[in-house]
Amino acid sequence: MTAIAPTRVTSLPEPSGRRAGLRGELASEWTKLRTVRSTWICLAIIVVAGVGLSALVLSIEAGRWVHLAADERALFDPVRSSQTGLFLAEFVVGVLGALVVTSEYGTGAMRTTLASVPRRTSVLIAKLLVVGAVVLVVAEVTAFASFFVGQAVLLGQGGTSLPAGSTLIDQVHAANVPVYGIGHPGALRAVFFGGLYLVLLAFLACAIGFILRHTAGSISTYVGVLLVLPLIVSILPSSFANSFEKYLPSNLGLGMTAVTTRTTDFAGILLTPWVAAGVLAAYAAAASLLAGWLLVRRDA
Amino acid sequence: MCRPVGRSGLLGSIHAEPRALPVISAVGLSKSYGSTRAVDELSFEVRSGVVTGFLGPNGSGKSTTMRMVMGLDRPTAGSVTINGVGYHDLRWPLREVGALLEAKAVHPGRSAYAHLLSLAQTNAIPRSRVDDVLAMVGLEGVSRRKAGKFSLGMSQRLGIASALLGDPGVLLFDEPINGLDPEGILWVRNLLKSLAAEGRTVFVSSHLMSEMAQTATDLVVIGRGRLISDTSVENFIASNTESTVLVRTPETERLQGVLAAAGLRVAPGADGGLVVTGATAVQVGEAAHAASVMLHELSPQQASLEEVFMDMTSDMVDYHGLTPDAPVDGAPAGAPSGAGAEVGR
Repeated sequence: MTAIAPTRVTSLPEPSGRRAGLRGELASEWTKLRTVRSTWICLAIIVVAGVGLSALVLSIEAGRWVHLAADERALFDPVRSSQTGLFLAEFVVGVLGALVVTSEYGTGAMRTTLASVPRRTSVLIAKLLVVGAVVLVVAEVTAFASFFVGQAVLLGQGGTSLPAGSTLIDQVHAANVPVYGIGHPGALRAVFFGGLYLVLLAFLACAIGFILRHTAGSISTYVGVLLVLPLIVSILPSSFANSFEKYLPSNLGLGMTAVTTRTTDFAGILLTPWVAAGVLAAYAAAASLLAGWLLVRRDA
Repeated sequence: MCRPVGRSGLLGSIHAEPRALPVISAVGLSKSYGSTRAVDELSFEVRSGVVTGFLGPNGSGKSTTMRMVMGLDRPTAGSVTINGVGYHDLRWPLREVGALLEAKAVHPGRSAYAHLLSLAQTNAIPRSRVDDVLAMVGLEGVSRRKAGKFSLGMSQRLGIASALLGDPGVLLFDEPINGLDPEGILWVRNLLKSLAAEGRTVFVSSHLMSEMAQTATDLVVIGRGRLISDTSVENFIASNTESTVLVRTPETERLQGVLAAAGLRVAPGADGGLVVTGATAVQVGEAAHAASVMLHELSPQQASLEEVFMDMTSDMVDYHGLTPDAPVDGAPAGAPSGAGAEVGR
């Protein structure tokens, strides 16, 4: 009876905190996100594509101003047009959001993650928060850069600010393409919502990743929702499609980035900015709840 | 000083009694996928201080069981606890249980260091420990390289490093020697033994009986998800091996008659020898001597662990190869392994 095991001396200091949970998992997710090259490539594409496409679109619109018909002039929104690049960047955001989850399922690393933090909802929340925070910073930088670069492009092509109190009629009759300052009513909100649109989509992509657990499947589903769904809806009879067209995520993005005073032009086509943001947030929340429910229930 | 509940419990029990209480305890553990029962009413115990081998053919439910121990898969029935609590109730799981489940379960674009750091952060393990475990497994020189560029052997080492990260009292390894070169296999063997010698609980799955014979003290053997045996390696061999004696003589037919007359079970063996089952060499030698039969060889045979294991699980393997399973020339189950010493006249 001498087989008493020697006492092990552990070199590890005591953990502070009660148990492995959200705090450590947040740090871990940030480490994982910043230590793969694909993250930085995605973020760089978001900025470059976002700002670049916006500048290109505004440059074309400014050059065509004199040829535009009255209704096209009336619908022109220099703020929303400056956010056009976000509709290219949104696909990269989807790839980023999905990969954060599905790359772990693809390699089996998700098992290691869930074994480190058995409270699985902490894993979901940490991934959403870290991806959301990173996309928020980059998307807002992109949105504001797009706005300022875009307005500079308009100015460079002879654009002028309409005097305060100008009406839609004034815009239609304006000799030069109109330019808005960030102080224009609704402009700041519209630009901020441009970035927020990408954050909500990142949540959606992340949740789809948890639901489908497969990279190709998740990204195609995400692209399908943003790109293919509107195509299908556009084929449907307009009397039928008009009632829910405005609830499509891409149209919610258009609604979110419109300047408030101009949304009435889109009555029936787009939701007002705050309602659009709320609906998209509800989509992201619903997908995240489903993702969390499945994550807790399913085998890893 | 308040140690995590599980660990202090483990060490406490070691001091209280030399023969430690079971650390991992499975009771009626079952897992079904549709109508397939991957794990069927499995009950076993794993104690600390020794290496316990978890043995079964491929597809017998070892990995599924490991995942249930880790709280990754939910049992259809039954339960498994570590130091008396379910995995989900461990407060700092990596500091109590370390596991190597899949060697390649790392983002191929992430460095070994970043991978381990991300794990350490989840359980408040200091950054310095990452360098320590990298040095322990011999990966310190390549810690900044992408894990996707690692060989299978290096990936196994990284997996072992992640298991050791929290300096846990319980270690689970799923097929840790897969893909390792002979040097690596020896390293893992010694590592497992030394971890156990430090008082840790070491539970290692393998489909190679010979490997477990060299490493493990205790054995949990399963086939088709069912428990076949839960005992020590020694007991397992003793109770599952029927000793045979190989005997050679120029007068084969006469000796066969003599031995049969003495009530021994005898059958023709390979190369004209005779195989006597259920008798000692002494009995065979005395019987031959009494009948004045000259012997050229008289050697006791011990079936190797591999043979015992193959024999026990042969009807438990789901996917047989195309090799004909008929025994050659009526040889006993498995060829004799002990090189028989020549016996003079």
